[in-house]
Amino acid sequence: MAGAFDYAAAIPLLPLFSFVIAIVAGHFAPRLLPKGGAIPGIVATGGSLLLSGWLYVTVSGTEQYFNQELYRWTTALGDEAFDLSFGLLLDPLSAYMLLIVSLITFLVHVFSMGYMNDEGETGLPRYYAGLGLFSFSMLAFVASSNILMAFMFFELVGLCSWLLIGFWFREPGPASAAKKAFLVTRFGDYFFLIGVVAIFATFGTGLFAPRGESLGFPQLAEHALNPEMHMPEHVANFLGVVGMDANTWFAIIGLLVLGGVIGKSAQFPLHTWLPDAMEGPTPVSALIHAATMVAAGVYLVMRMYGFYAGLPNVLALIALVGAFTALMAATMGVVKREIKQVLAYSTISQYGYMMLALGAGGYVAATFHLMTHAIFKALLFLGAGSVIIAMHHNENMWDMGGLREKMPVTYWTFLSGSLALAGIFPFAGFWSKDEILYEALIHGLGGQPLILLAYALGLIAVFFTGFYTFRMVILTFHGEPRTETAEDPHGVRWNVKFPLVVLGILAAVVGFVNMAPVKELTGANITYLHTWFEHGLEGVSLEAYHHILEAQAGYQAAELSSIGPGLVSLALALAGAGLAWRLYSGPEPEAHTDRLGVVKDVWYNNYYQDEYQVWLAEGVTMPLAQVADKFDQGIIDGIVNGVSSVSLFSGSHIRRVQTGVVTNYAALLTLGLVVLALGVGLFGGWF
Amino acid sequence: MLIEVLLLVTVLSAIAVMVVDDEIAGRLAFGLSLLPLAGSLLMYSGFDGSGNALLGGDIAYQTKAEWITVGPYDLGYHVGVDGIGLALVVLTTLLMTLAILSSWTPIDERQSQFYGLMLFMEASLIGVFTALDFFAWFVAWEFVLVPMYFLIAIWGGPRRKYAAIKFFVYTNVASLVMFIGFIALVFGLPVQSLDLPTITQSLQAGELGSLGGISADTLRAIAFIAMFAGFAVKVPMVPFHTWLPDAHVEAPTPVSVILAGVLLKMGTYAMLRFNFTMLPGQARDFAIPIAVLAVISVIYGAMLAMAQQDLKRIVAYSSISSMGYVLLGLIAYNLYGVGGATFQMVAHGLISGLMFMSVGVIYNVAHTRMVGDLSGLADRMPVTATVFTAAAFGYMGLPLMAGFAGELYIFLGAMQSTVLPYAQLFTAVAMFGIVIVAGYLLFAMQRVLFGPFRADTDYDIVPAAVHDQISIVVLILVIVLFGVVPDLLYVNIQDAVRPILAIGGGL
Repeated sequence: MAGAFDYAAAIPLLPLFSFVIAIVAGHFAPRLLPKGGAIPGIVATGGSLLLSGWLYVTVSGTEQYFNQELYRWTTALGDEAFDLSFGLLLDPLSAYMLLIVSLITFLVHVFSMGYMNDEGETGLPRYYAGLGLFSFSMLAFVASSNILMAFMFFELVGLCSWLLIGFWFREPGPASAAKKAFLVTRFGDYFFLIGVVAIFATFGTGLFAPRGESLGFPQLAEHALNPEMHMPEHVANFLGVVGMDANTWFAIIGLLVLGGVIGKSAQFPLHTWLPDAMEGPTPVSALIHAATMVAAGVYLVMRMYGFYAGLPNVLALIALVGAFTALMAATMGVVKREIKQVLAYSTISQYGYMMLALGAGGYVAATFHLMTHAIFKALLFLGAGSVIIAMHHNENMWDMGGLREKMPVTYWTFLSGSLALAGIFPFAGFWSKDEILYEALIHGLGGQPLILLAYALGLIAVFFTGFYTFRMVILTFHGEPRTETAEDPHGVRWNVKFPLVVLGILAAVVGFVNMAPVKELTGANITYLHTWFEHGLEGVSLEAYHHILEAQAGYQAAELSSIGPGLVSLALALAGAGLAWRLYSGPEPEAHTDRLGVVKDVWYNNYYQDEYQVWLAEGVTMPLAQVADKFDQGIIDGIVNGVSSVSLFSGSHIRRVQTGVVTNYAALLTLGLVVLALGVGLFGGWF
Repeated sequence: MLIEVLLLVTVLSAIAVMVVDDEIAGRLAFGLSLLPLAGSLLMYSGFDGSGNALLGGDIAYQTKAEWITVGPYDLGYHVGVDGIGLALVVLTTLLMTLAILSSWTPIDERQSQFYGLMLFMEASLIGVFTALDFFAWFVAWEFVLVPMYFLIAIWGGPRRKYAAIKFFVYTNVASLVMFIGFIALVFGLPVQSLDLPTITQSLQAGELGSLGGISADTLRAIAFIAMFAGFAVKVPMVPFHTWLPDAHVEAPTPVSVILAGVLLKMGTYAMLRFNFTMLPGQARDFAIPIAVLAVISVIYGAMLAMAQQDLKRIVAYSSISSMGYVLLGLIAYNLYGVGGATFQMVAHGLISGLMFMSVGVIYNVAHTRMVGDLSGLADRMPVTATVFTAAAFGYMGLPLMAGFAGELYIFLGAMQSTVLPYAQLFTAVAMFGIVIVAGYLLFAMQRVLFGPFRADTDYDIVPAAVHDQISIVVLILVIVLFGVVPDLLYVNIQDAVRPILAIGGGL
């Protein structure tokens, strides 16, 4: 069947071309490069967006999916070893995600032209090369057919984040933030790589989905865990080698892979890199937060959900980590002064919700929130970027105020994104967050007390979300201008406004694709996302996941209307927003944070988590390294020199030798050959 | 015949370069070094061998001749390559050409001798990786040390004499230990030659008798330990590693490139040929201690690298760490393990060479390598900063660069090893090296390349010469090529590795 599948490889490859063009032309012929590389990037990601749209339509119109090997990276000789290859898996999940990612990358490229190019910035080709490589890596990650390929592009995403966060490398801040981002996520990826290697060792394949006769590893795991199915021989052998039962070993693998997820998706305790990553250019923040790097983590869990669905303990952990992160990050967002810092903590918090959904068995809710969040968070970051342009790169909200009249497009679109983030009816975030909490509640009531605990944490976080979101909106746009810059902001052009308007409209309406409570009220079958994910390759569909969740993880859904819980969370969000309005509206808002006392310090310092991580690096690892060095120089090398001084020349003689007695060298040089001759001679019967 | 031509051309080139004027020596050496490079690529494209050279495989470009007779023993001349040797010959010739190109800037005295010695060393290295008779092999093995000694002792840094002697004596004593171990083994066998395939196959056939009242089993164990210890110095494994940082710090950069890129691989290559091919049973017996050494080398080496302030010392210690992975792959004793270890020898050779070249470019300009002396160099040396970054990420095992493939294969092999007890645990601990390496390289880059520009040096920081950059860019492209298409080498390597596994176990 010719069609979108044949061209799908071009979705990631087009941005790769724009990367190559920006690198090569940027070095050899910068003048030939239109807009410092922006145009090739826009064309490439625009092409990716069109192809993704075509692919989406193709996937929705058929039951045919694509899971093929494209390139055999490593050929293993012999039957007993497995090959390693690159391939594409194009099914409802990846088509959906490709569309989101390519949309955001395209808009970020357009926005970048307004944000970066108008500032007389040097190094634009480097910037656009980074963006191109970032888009390529993420799109290839999303379309990966196996976990090794996913890991490889996961790592490349990390590299790109390093390149772009550290874009302004002449300042000390970005260079340090880039290092931290890579290092913290690398720490997570360490566990992920062990998990990848263990998956290959255990299952002999890294495929996510069945390809022809051969099953993917999540399906093999289901076979191994389900006593009614046949245990795959390869798995049985390896379980014998490690000496564990399938449940324990798979849970270990699941936790190892989760390490990478926690790192990239900025979940507790590896979330500390994300707020620092604000040192990068704002469009890059939008890209990282909305659709690329941070999304990669939760997407990975979705991609291999069939594997996690059979492991109830791991699921509970995912839900708890997510819910805890959602609440903790929301509280830290309450006291921040910089607009981008507030958004950074909200990202951590929102991805916590997605993790909560996945752990609670709400697969669709998680994918839904991933999409709505991608849109409203990209919108908010680009809106913040517009504000930052206007404020001449001052990000402190206390220096703003009253920008509403000066920048109406930015204000109204930003408001749309904020309503979505806070989860106010009927904006996008309301529907997706509501569904997450609902799923957590029904599965919690269905006999999973830990999920119920996670639900409670998530519910409290709704209040804080409403509060910090509207604190940010009010401080930035309402009241009177508090500085001269805010009175006379720098204007922004179409290339800034266009992405804002597109995203602003989407943030308002995109939630309508999956209105579960409305379905319940009217009976109309309008939960399109549920329909969308019902289909898929064998064992990679909503139906299969529900089956595994019920049969193996023992997840039961309690009978409960979704209206009541929805009203509760809406009320909490409104309460948070209302409190923010009460505290900060008016022409001259005051900082109320001091009233929090000790809590303020704790929140402002992010629960001192950066401190302990820095301490781990500088207070523990570095001294340990220095002790090792002393030991090495003093003891090990000391013994070596001691032995040699006894046998060949004493310590004081070393100095004499160094000053150059040529005969000594000659004598030593011949030693080797003499040894050879003597050896052969004495033992070989020469004499 | 091709191997003889290769050796002859390289030796003649060395002599020719030795006698010309200093002014043209560098260019001539570069031009002449293209000949062995072309020869090795010819070898690669025409390679028709299969199987393992020591275990009765079809050896490519084989020549076998009678040479000398000593007592009852025939010392033969026997050369040829299988997939393992081929990969390392390609590595040697490629890296030598690029190292010579990168010597043009830093080497400014006695050039003709310098380049002559470099080419002479290349010939010796080709000899090590192609020789299949112990005598010829050992001669080449020892001949590598001589030019290396002079290259460090004459063109090195302030403590060059100390470093050169330490290198020479340490590795020579190790050679002696290894030599005794091997010869003891030979005397226990009913063979009349030092031909390595003959000896290996005789050992496999269980023909080892007792020697001087020592039983065959004890003899095998003693020989294994002696050879292992001898090669461990060369690799170097902790705790035999202390010569390496001294040698690297004092050696001129192009010599460091060869030292880290090729010389260290002699140790693991010999371990693979001798310990793991000839005495698989002993390797299995000693699996746990060997794995412990490997893991210690990885983690301890990386910790030492973290404590260093001199960029060259950082890279030197990180080589110890990377070579620990090779040993872990060998002791995994399966296809991905041993194949990956061999691939990693090539990959690490290229990447550590690249890393040293990048450090060298900075040193050529700034005349200092201390992390604390430099800051924000990317502002003045954008191309150098770019390639340094590429090198560092290659070292960290960035996917689609050769180092990732090598490390991944080793991890895959080690994780599923059936030979090594607690293999999963060893693998997981060793893999932590990938976090530490990212830590110290990112930290060094952040300080040296980024941040506000500052250089505590009397020299102007200007962009590096074009030929310095060319050698680095070419090397990066080769590393990416092997990272994207590892099968170019890996298929042949596996073909040569499989017979080892058939006798050693973990197939």
